[in-house]
Amino acid sequence: LTTTPCRFQTHSLQDMRQQAAIASKVFVQRDYSTGTTCQFQMKFLPELENRIDKQQFEETVRTLNNLYAEAEKIGGKSYLEGCLACLTAYTIFLCMETHYEKVLKKIAKYIQEQNDKVYAPRGMLITDPIERGLRVVSFTAARE
Amino acid sequence: MPPGSGSNATLSKIKPSKYVPVSAATAFLVGSSSLFFVFTSPWLAQHFSLAVPLYNAIVFLFVVANFSMATFMDPGVFPRAEEDEDKEDDFRAPLYKTVEIKGIQVRMKWCSTCRFYRPPRCSHCSVCDNCVEEFDHHCPWVNNCIGRRNYRYFFLFLLSLTVHIIGVFGFGLLFILYHSEQLGKVHCAVTMAVMCVAGLFFIPVAGLTGFHLVLVARGRTTNEQVTGKFRGGVNPFTNGCWKNISHVLCSSQAPRYLGRPRKEQTVVVKPPFLRPDHCDGRTPLKVLDNGIQGELSHSTSKGSLEVMESQSADAEAPPPPKPELHRFTGLRAQLTVNTTEESSLLSPDNPATPTMYKYRPAYSSPGKNHSSKMSRGDSLREPPSLLESSQQTSYHSEPSLDGLSGPQPVHEAGGRLSGGSLSSSLRSAHTHPLGGGPSFDGGALTSVRSEGTTSTSYKSLANQTPRNGSLSYDSLPTPSESPEFESAAPEPPPGPGYSSPFLSAQIAQQREAELQHCKPGFSLPSHRDGLRRTPSSRGYEIEERDRLLSGPHPHQRAPPPRFGRPVPLSSSPPGGEGGPPHHHPPQQQQHSMRARSLGSPEKGYHHPSQFHPHLHQYPPPHGALGKSTSYTSGPGAPAMREGGVEFQQRHHGYPSFSNLIHAPKDEVQMKSNSRTNGQPRPHPFSSYPPSHSSQHSSNSSTGPASPSALPLPPPSHSAPLSPASRGGGGVKKVSGVGGTTYEISV
Repeated sequence: LTTTPCRFQTHSLQDMRQQAAIASKVFVQRDYSTGTTCQFQMKFLPELENRIDKQQFEETVRTLNNLYAEAEKIGGKSYLEGCLACLTAYTIFLCMETHYEKVLKKIAKYIQEQNDKVYAPRGMLITDPIERGLRVVSFTAARE
Repeated sequence: MPPGSGSNATLSKIKPSKYVPVSAATAFLVGSSSLFFVFTSPWLAQHFSLAVPLYNAIVFLFVVANFSMATFMDPGVFPRAEEDEDKEDDFRAPLYKTVEIKGIQVRMKWCSTCRFYRPPRCSHCSVCDNCVEEFDHHCPWVNNCIGRRNYRYFFLFLLSLTVHIIGVFGFGLLFILYHSEQLGKVHCAVTMAVMCVAGLFFIPVAGLTGFHLVLVARGRTTNEQVTGKFRGGVNPFTNGCWKNISHVLCSSQAPRYLGRPRKEQTVVVKPPFLRPDHCDGRTPLKVLDNGIQGELSHSTSKGSLEVMESQSADAEAPPPPKPELHRFTGLRAQLTVNTTEESSLLSPDNPATPTMYKYRPAYSSPGKNHSSKMSRGDSLREPPSLLESSQQTSYHSEPSLDGLSGPQPVHEAGGRLSGGSLSSSLRSAHTHPLGGGPSFDGGALTSVRSEGTTSTSYKSLANQTPRNGSLSYDSLPTPSESPEFESAAPEPPPGPGYSSPFLSAQIAQQREAELQHCKPGFSLPSHRDGLRRTPSSRGYEIEERDRLLSGPHPHQRAPPPRFGRPVPLSSSPPGGEGGPPHHHPPQQQQHSMRARSLGSPEKGYHHPSQFHPHLHQYPPPHGALGKSTSYTSGPGAPAMREGGVEFQQRHHGYPSFSNLIHAPKDEVQMKSNSRTNGQPRPHPFSSYPPSHSSQHSSNSSTGPASPSALPLPPPSHSAPLSPASRGGGGVKKVSGVGGTTYEISV
């Protein structure tokens, strides 16, 4: 991302939030059709029509859904983690990061990367849904 | 308000009473075990082996570890929603939002404290003053909520405590047997005391353990079990016994939502911004409807909003007979703001209009009104599609058209808007030149009036109602709701020209079918799938309706709130009924709603007779204090026993007031009542069999013939409907103790 110091403004997310009155926010809700597994709706909201491509949006949401599915996957790894925690009377949590947390870090990185590469050039920002309890993904559109 | 601030607020006045159970539990646990280790274990180690006290020590350690985790771990508290998520005044939003989970309709209630719609299985704990994910119960013995994150530790605590008690009791008994001649000694006395404590606690603990074993196997929470949500036997959250168990025990530790380090994003956001190219087929389309030509795409939604605002501002509903009708204007203005979670345009130019009573109906796009509506496919507090479609259709039409459609549709819009559930969906209808504006308006007005009495289902009222206890299912209506429903006064006769909604619906559907066949040119933007209708079809619909109004069926007028009433119901004089008939329509509407919402009749259907009082089979968990008892009636309970709201809830699962005001003719209205996702809803049949009572009883009873409307051809009458509905239908409504109803597609 090339920057021309004299021209670019850095909008931190806080700034964008403070400018909420002039920016629009779109919230992508959770998709509960398959139960309580963490999935977000792939429905392309009309407010985003002018801002981003539908494919881009779907790609982002699909990747997020896959990442969350990976986080919640019940497999050998999570089982071993549970057993280990049991055996150590859960003191292992003091030093080790759980599988879910690891994937959450991956997700945060992915969102940051998407913001940098895809959404910021289009005047939008995605917030990490974990900040809102994995209930919504918010797309904040900067005012043009 | 930061989550958990409620508990912080209580720090100023620490309630010692809330720490008594946990202190007692800790004292008993640690004290008894310590006595055991001090007095009993040394002899056991000498006489038998060191493995005995070692085993007991390990089990005791396990108990303490799980106890501590259950006590101190965040159960999965949701942080309070930020302001921007609920920009609209929450007075206007519907109290409930419906989502479909594996074919079963599940209601999400608006949490007035936390400011969001509670995800499925989430409940607000009044003790902790937080919404907790997968809320199980609030356990006083650990002084903590048991939710998604710490249920596993609680469950393991129960298991290990049972094992520990058995071990302590067993080894103490062994000690006593070997010292039976020295019972006066201190060691024996202490051991006997420990055995007494262990024996006393064994019964409730083992009972609770067994209870939770069954819950885990069935994939239910205590809350769901106690409130009888799945009494009919269909639990959308279960994945089978093995998967349920593995989910509890083997899944990775869920993350906490509170107290996370908030990452500051420093991203360069500078104009000019890239814009998506529109050469992928999203060309502006012209929708031809009644000669109106409007572009489907719009430049900026804000611009559209302005147009809409002006149009809506032009429209003023006739002076409402009751003060609640002032809602109209507020509501319209509200629509213009279009601040939903999904499409909230926070514009300083469109402040939420304060009204004394705001309701944000479940909007659906106008186009969707006629197709399988309820299938909104998402759980929106305010679907943006409605706004956009209305924007797209009439507001960009030519000026002459605006003028033409201005005054008339507004009436309808106003009426509809006040109708809450109906309003938004019908909003687009008014954008087309219609002859039947005033006529429909009358009906809408009356619907509004009736709605006024059912204000409890609004979020605004939810804010006023006391929070339920920790265990009460959040979908339970407050007692205040039922009287209001029951006291809904009979509506005055509708204004002239009012036509039966059923008939209109019938016409509408016919028109839809025609339009679909005859107007291939209509196409919606690509992202709008076939769930939505072009607004033009709506206009035709209304025209037809008007034609019919003045047509050969003047007797079909019925009081507007009785949208669910079949047209040929001669037994009930129009407008002459009070409370009881008031409730009938919702039921019928529910049928149609169910039919529409659950498109696939192949879902698992559990005969309500499978309902069995699980509630009473296990000792109630000690934390389960907030269970609502008002819904424990069996399947055979009379329909009207508990009044309007409860009745409705039991049978329909839609306690929102809007259910009362259904115009079944409009799928939109139905849709607004229950925002389901993705399910095309068949058009409601025009008339119901007049056997309300049978439907009532069958509804509330365990009869398999839960009247549900299958997708039937539009020009339907009662005959084909009733056999279908009675034959086990496409939808089964299972109502639970908590007043929640699950609709299951059969």
